[in-house]
Amino acid sequence: MFDTALTANDLIFLAKGAGMTLIVTGISVLLGTILGILFGVFRYQVGPWWAAPLTFVLDIFRSIPLLIQLVLANAFVTTVLGFRISGFTVACGVLSLYTSAYCAEIVRGGIESVPTTLRRAARSLGMTWGQDMRSIVLPLATRVALPSWIGLALGVMKDSALVFIVQVVELLKSTQILITRLQEPLFLLMICGLFYFVISFPVARLGGYLERRWSND
Amino acid sequence: MFNYNFRWAQALNSLPQMLEGALVTMEIAILSMAVGIVVAIFLTVFRLSGQRVLAAVATIWVEVARNTPALFQIYMVHFGLGSFGIHLSPYLSLLIGITFNNAGYLAENFRGALKAIPDTQTRAARSLGMSAGQAFANVVMPQMLRISFLPMTNQMVWAILMTSLGAVVAMNTDLYGVTSDLNARTFRTFELFAIAAVIFYLITKAITLAARLLAARLFRY
Amino acid sequence: MRTSILAAWAVAATAVALPAQADKLDDIIASGTLRCAVVLDFPPMGSRDAQNNPIGFDVDYCSDLAAALGVTAEVVETTFPERIPALMSGSVDVAVASTSDTLERAKTVGFTIPYYSFENAVVANEKVEMSNWEGMKGKVVGATAGTYEAIWLEGKVKEWGEGEFRPYQNQADVFLALSQGQLDATVSTVEVAEANVKSGNFPGIKIVDKAPMVPDYVALITLREEYGLINYMNLFINQQVRTGRYAELYKKWVGEGEPADLTVKGVYR
Repeated sequence: MFDTALTANDLIFLAKGAGMTLIVTGISVLLGTILGILFGVFRYQVGPWWAAPLTFVLDIFRSIPLLIQLVLANAFVTTVLGFRISGFTVACGVLSLYTSAYCAEIVRGGIESVPTTLRRAARSLGMTWGQDMRSIVLPLATRVALPSWIGLALGVMKDSALVFIVQVVELLKSTQILITRLQEPLFLLMICGLFYFVISFPVARLGGYLERRWSND
Repeated sequence: MFNYNFRWAQALNSLPQMLEGALVTMEIAILSMAVGIVVAIFLTVFRLSGQRVLAAVATIWVEVARNTPALFQIYMVHFGLGSFGIHLSPYLSLLIGITFNNAGYLAENFRGALKAIPDTQTRAARSLGMSAGQAFANVVMPQMLRISFLPMTNQMVWAILMTSLGAVVAMNTDLYGVTSDLNARTFRTFELFAIAAVIFYLITKAITLAARLLAARLFRY
Repeated sequence: MRTSILAAWAVAATAVALPAQADKLDDIIASGTLRCAVVLDFPPMGSRDAQNNPIGFDVDYCSDLAAALGVTAEVVETTFPERIPALMSGSVDVAVASTSDTLERAKTVGFTIPYYSFENAVVANEKVEMSNWEGMKGKVVGATAGTYEAIWLEGKVKEWGEGEFRPYQNQADVFLALSQGQLDATVSTVEVAEANVKSGNFPGIKIVDKAPMVPDYVALITLREEYGLINYMNLFINQQVRTGRYAELYKKWVGEGEPADLTVKGVYR
């Protein structure tokens, strides 16, 4: 169907870009989730009034475009403060905080979905706060939160396409580099899109399946 | 450390240009949302219709929109369609790209909302003599839109944020495009993008607030 | 007694806090690597070979500079709009990226003496009727955002009051759009225009005319305050010309003929 000048070498080059997409996504989702759980639990524990500053800061990450966050963070850390750090570090840092902002919302929603009466019952049985969180809230909140979290992780993978702006060569940038040389935009873009789709689609389906299964119990 | 000299005055000189860009950004977001909702209703109907071809088109649309990066979608509209000789201006490329994305996500939201509406309502409507189309348009759809109101607000915010991707298709009249153009000339990266960030923040807050007020008016029970 | 101990501590603390100022030239030599920003969608100045390794005039020029400094060269690909932000953010040491020495840029970065000089040409889609540069009037034209030719072209479109200017984010997209017919014409350096026409990568484009612009002198850039490095690079450029390496690189990447004159008659640097 396609008459292409694409060589095995070029496929390896694309695979490297795809690898970078996955590495950046992996690091950001991991760090972002840890931070998100901390922020989410904190916000729930201290109540809206004391959590207001944190809520405000996290809200910023959800209210300005990721592209601007990346440019701004990069300019601030490296140009204004004068630290020598790589674009990769900036990309992972910004994406982690970005992930944590959404994750905190998901975590808070998950905790809130656990009926207070259930938690009071647990505490009145003599459970400590930690025991209550671990044995009662965690299993129940996870069921509510996991499908959204899967959606978030996939969202981060797709949004990681923007880290090209801080000189990280990920999948979409690798594709553009090959387009520059080979001038087969349509074919190369299809390969690139297919890669995202092949990863995202089954995982998204899994999320949908879990959501359906767990909401029926 | 900290030998950076801020030049806020120089960057602030460009504020009027950036505010004009903000208007274009809002215009694109609103248009893409309006068209997106209409298309999403069609996609939802297609998926319900039982018509194989229509359902397949709708499913492919929804899955591609949801499973590939928005940046990819916009780039594809401009350069992908360009390969077929379909030439769209940067404005249209961005608008169509975001609309495509909006419609896909909204259709999925609508599908979720439909689950919350009992089948009995459709049946009752049909037994009152409404056609399938009338039952959907008059009974199901208003509830579907109401249930999806919050996801639609979120999608609207997304649409605003997505306009920042237009620079890849040479869009230079929206807020990001104007900022990026100014930056390519003066290199006051931090100052310019900080101002743009504040404007974006204010726009998204204004939209969320407006949506809340609108919801309070529309959904008084 | 106690005060003198305190004073001694204070002196020691300041000494730790303020080490002798090493400039970028020292830093590069100490780190053993010269990181150059090079634009790789700009053949013959910068592009990629079949193995996707960087090649071109600018890539060789960076290697030569690294060799002179006794360090290894590391090429960091940037697009035209990204090269100065990359320099400012410290992710590269210098940019060997065909950077036109405009006064606007000199407010932010430090320029060496010119290391190359371009003339610009108008390149159009074959389907568009255009016999000279003024044919661009009223057409859809574009160039890479923020470049010398983009600023000139956008100015012309404003002056004509008709037509449309589109700034793409990289040079490859400009030629892709031109080849697809999304753009009617662009302005690009003669070398690049000829390389792109000759490569056959972009079917359907043709060189129409020289653009009536002042010759485009391009220089190496680094941070504005790095005089040590700028001085070094000035001498390096001078040596490249006097040793014949400049002519050699010209022949290798651009072709036969006399390499561009890097002096401006009637004025000091």
